[in-house]
Amino acid sequence: MQGSHGNKIMKNIFIQEEYCLGCRLCEIYCQVKHSKSKKIIKAFKKELVDSLPRVLVEEIGYNSFAIQCRHCVDAPCEDACISGAMVKNKKTGVVICNEKKCVGCWSCIMVCPYGVIKRDLSAKKIASKCDLCEDEDIPVCVKNCPNEALKFKEIDQKELVDDRSESK
Amino acid sequence: MIEVKVNKDHKVSNKKIKGIVDYLIIGNSASGLAAAESIRETDKKGRLVVITEEEYTNYSKPLITYYLAGKVDLDNIYFKPESFYKDNNIELLTSTNIKSIDPEKQEIVTGSRDKINYKKLLIASGGRPIVPGIKISGRSVKAALPFDSIDGSNYSDVGGIFTLTTLEDSIRIKNYIEKNEIKSITILGGGLIGLKSAEAFLEIGLKINIVELADRILAATFDSQASGIIENAIESTGSRIYKNNTIEEIFVDSGKVYGYRLRDGRENDCDLLILAIGVSPDLGFIKEGMIDTNRGIKVDSRMKTSAENVYAAGDIIEGLDILLEENRNIAIWPLAVRQGRIAGSNMAGNTVDYEGGFFMNSVEILDIPSISMGVTNLSMQDDNGVEIKKIFKPDQNLYRKIVIKDDKIIGVIMIGNIERAGIYSGLIRNRIDLSGVKENIYREDFGIIHLPSEYKKHLVVGEGIEV
Amino acid sequence: MALKLTESEFGIERDAEKCISCQVCVRQCSNDVHDFDSDDDTIVSDNQSCVGCHRCESMCPTGALEVKEREAQFKTNANWSPEHLKNLYKQADAGGVMLTSMGSDKPYPIYWDHILFNASQVTNPSIDPLREPMEIKTFIGKKSNKLEFEKVHGDEDKSQAKNILGGTGKVSKIRLKSKVSPQLELSTPIIFSAMSYGSISFNACKSLAAASSEFGTYYNTGEGGLHQDLYKYAKNTIVQVASGRFGVDIDYLNKGAAIEIKIGQGAKPGIGGHLPGEKVTKDISNTRMIPEGTDAISPAPHHDIYSIEDLSQLIHALKEATEWTKPVGVKVSAVHNIAPIASGIVRAGADFVSIDGLRGGTGAAPQVTRDNVGIPIELATASVDERLREEGIRHQASLLVAGSIRSSSDVIKAIALGADAVYIGTAALIAMGCHLCQKCYTGKCNWGIATQDPYLTKRLNPEIGTRRLLNLLRAWSLEVKEMLGGAGINAIESIRGNREHLRGISLSDRELDILGIKHAGEPW
Repeated sequence: MQGSHGNKIMKNIFIQEEYCLGCRLCEIYCQVKHSKSKKIIKAFKKELVDSLPRVLVEEIGYNSFAIQCRHCVDAPCEDACISGAMVKNKKTGVVICNEKKCVGCWSCIMVCPYGVIKRDLSAKKIASKCDLCEDEDIPVCVKNCPNEALKFKEIDQKELVDDRSESK
Repeated sequence: MIEVKVNKDHKVSNKKIKGIVDYLIIGNSASGLAAAESIRETDKKGRLVVITEEEYTNYSKPLITYYLAGKVDLDNIYFKPESFYKDNNIELLTSTNIKSIDPEKQEIVTGSRDKINYKKLLIASGGRPIVPGIKISGRSVKAALPFDSIDGSNYSDVGGIFTLTTLEDSIRIKNYIEKNEIKSITILGGGLIGLKSAEAFLEIGLKINIVELADRILAATFDSQASGIIENAIESTGSRIYKNNTIEEIFVDSGKVYGYRLRDGRENDCDLLILAIGVSPDLGFIKEGMIDTNRGIKVDSRMKTSAENVYAAGDIIEGLDILLEENRNIAIWPLAVRQGRIAGSNMAGNTVDYEGGFFMNSVEILDIPSISMGVTNLSMQDDNGVEIKKIFKPDQNLYRKIVIKDDKIIGVIMIGNIERAGIYSGLIRNRIDLSGVKENIYREDFGIIHLPSEYKKHLVVGEGIEV
Repeated sequence: MALKLTESEFGIERDAEKCISCQVCVRQCSNDVHDFDSDDDTIVSDNQSCVGCHRCESMCPTGALEVKEREAQFKTNANWSPEHLKNLYKQADAGGVMLTSMGSDKPYPIYWDHILFNASQVTNPSIDPLREPMEIKTFIGKKSNKLEFEKVHGDEDKSQAKNILGGTGKVSKIRLKSKVSPQLELSTPIIFSAMSYGSISFNACKSLAAASSEFGTYYNTGEGGLHQDLYKYAKNTIVQVASGRFGVDIDYLNKGAAIEIKIGQGAKPGIGGHLPGEKVTKDISNTRMIPEGTDAISPAPHHDIYSIEDLSQLIHALKEATEWTKPVGVKVSAVHNIAPIASGIVRAGADFVSIDGLRGGTGAAPQVTRDNVGIPIELATASVDERLREEGIRHQASLLVAGSIRSSSDVIKAIALGADAVYIGTAALIAMGCHLCQKCYTGKCNWGIATQDPYLTKRLNPEIGTRRLLNLLRAWSLEVKEMLGGAGINAIESIRGNREHLRGISLSDRELDILGIKHAGEPW
């Protein structure tokens, strides 16, 4: 639906599957970033119990890639959210789950075609997803990918919409 | 007793609307507000009025059971921010019901006989709970109540009988539980609303009885294995489920319910009865012949009704079901929002088509998450070209069923592990041919990497992708 | 076999305080050194399998790993060194030729480290390359005996005058009359050596191709054919014709900017090549034009070249086939008789001679050959340059030298000793991540360079590879300019064979004599 968000320029993470090593450093740094202390050793040794990375490496044999929220132009999770927790910021294009409002109904999990929203059961049941590390210049998964299999760059969302609607 | 604390800013008094309204939206929930937002994407200035018969500003209907369970308070039941109406320059008219619509004159008449003229109208007023006619009897029933069976207009006069589709219902139930010592709760109807209600009562530690006409709960969306897992979990709390059954007679004492008799003759105590048989489109204000209706309002792919300048969206319409390839009423939140967006965009002058949808639902009961989507009750015998893949581990409350027809997924049930369910809904929505990868799709670790490469490429958009 | 006669070469130290059991090391090691025990949530490492490539150490997010070289715990013996013992044990186990990879690591003299470069003081002003023009462009190919010019009337053929040798076009009224042989134009006197697709991964080849193309220099296909996806870099490709003739057809020859006939390689003079069948994947089989899964055997000699005359025939056949449009050169290993051999090659009609020295790299070679056959490139360069000058044929061919050029100072010293340009192989691989573990022959390169395993080749993102190679070329070029400027010279061609700018240190008279340089302390 082109009309809904227009063709604003936003930055998004691109996946270069052919260069993903499957090392899962993206997952590790994501967990650290979303930990309490943000210190890798402390986070893993003392803090993280059930906490999940918000980026997910899929792997079969040598094929692998890391995928995280695509921050869709026309985000189905936002439409499906019954609590108003899942909101796409119209300025930045980032889809954020407001953990205070989320009630854990999992409607977003039901509709996300990438399967990148997870149930975070570590405290209150809430949907856990990539926030594009809003307070960082570059998301930590991208920054720490040793092979630049993830790239953070500007994207004309209009193109993305057209691309997606073609195969509908 | 719970004070109904609603932020004053959220309340807008019933004022008169003068002049012609560019966009008039009946309904202040998922569809109506999505439409309003969508109109504002294109038209920032046109006069936009939203009318609701409820007294609250926007609140999320699906959250009322969470409110009942105490998981959400009234401050957080709103799905749009407080400033929504102001930010989008929307005039909100609360506590205003609609008496009739006259598409010829482009006019609506409210319950207080006020007339409002519109240029474009969106009907997004949703559904109303179905109330079955059930005989009531008991001591001094005649003295307390002027009727001998309940229906949609009088059920609320009986103490302890409620429907649960609005925030008001939820608040009233909560107050009733506070005021009365509730020993036994019965939910009539083991469908979605029934289960959502059950979820709430179980959450606050109350035992429940569920009475369901079909041979299992969630019969419309689950198969017997799936229902079995949830039924066992509910029964493990000491709650009971009466299947193949219904309530034939309600016992009332001093205007309050105290029990009922089932069709099979058994009798149960009951001091709180939730009527949760279902919801149907509320077409009461649409006079015959004005707008084409069936069970719901008929719309085309632009969400336009048969009447000029009148659009409809959400639980009140019959939209395209891409799996059954026919228009039908699918009353679920995501589709209501989607339809609202599309209606709004078209009302504002764009041309956007609704691509259709299909049924889906997510319920978590007693820490067992479950998701069902599409057509799940076909059996391989029913139809040629139907294949069913299953993982069934009832001891772990784990179930996964994938129904494939002509190499495309048409239905999914996931219980216990619902991770990545949306990949399946994407496959259904995009009608992806899975021949060649079928062996992978029901695996527990199923992921995008298992998908056909073209679709995978389509999902994992980016340069240099070789899949 | 429970009895272990050889000890592990490396010890892996894992700091338990820092290890978070993230298993990155487990996933990264192609030698299965690290093993995760999910019961204890710990990782155990097997020193014996470690090749010392340091991949795990580089990837470990907490710095918990240290791979340390272990002192061999044999009883000290000056004659029977630990290396001899280890090799003996291994050979007694397996009974085969000891294979190794990359250049020789034996402590033969490295003459680069005994040669010092000059600088200007007082009598000759030095030049600041950042502020003044500095030319490091050079041309590879046969130069004319003499150049004749003619006047052009009117503005006829202005374009031709402009095109010759990249002139400025200002000489529009004078035109070069002599026919100039085809040349390669190098923006810096550094070319990437022959490394075949097969010996290194496609991504490594692509990085070399893209970097040379962007920088304006060349890379060499080795005897691996030219992958279709690299056709777009054809203008910067030197195609090799070797004894196996893999991937050679007329299209291949025409694609290249130059053709190099490979006779020998510094790491294994007199030895052919062998790419085992399991590395001949579909892509490689297409590129090499051989059946998938078959061994690619390059014979030790070219069976049609048993003399200089035979070589001349091949040179001319290749020139004829490509209509005399591109330089054709010959690559040989630096062996004892290199000077007369080079002279013969020039006389056979080669436009350039590539010489690969004792310490040159390889994907796989018998250790005994690599470490004991050939001569250092420094001596070969000096001796060949000297011989060609003596015979008055130095201008008839360019001299490319190879075999462990490790830095920009090696480049400038090589050119001052007589080379036109240098080939770098090992240095380029190191720039892309190679840690010189010398296990290329196993095909399990953890850095994704010397491997065809798709799980490993992904590890070299050619975008990164290209960027790093470009940085290397840029850095070395800047350093070469600095050195030239310091010596008061503003063009790389002015230093070629200019041995007065070199001085030896700690070298014998004989060595100085062969290198054709004075000892440090001796004035001009």
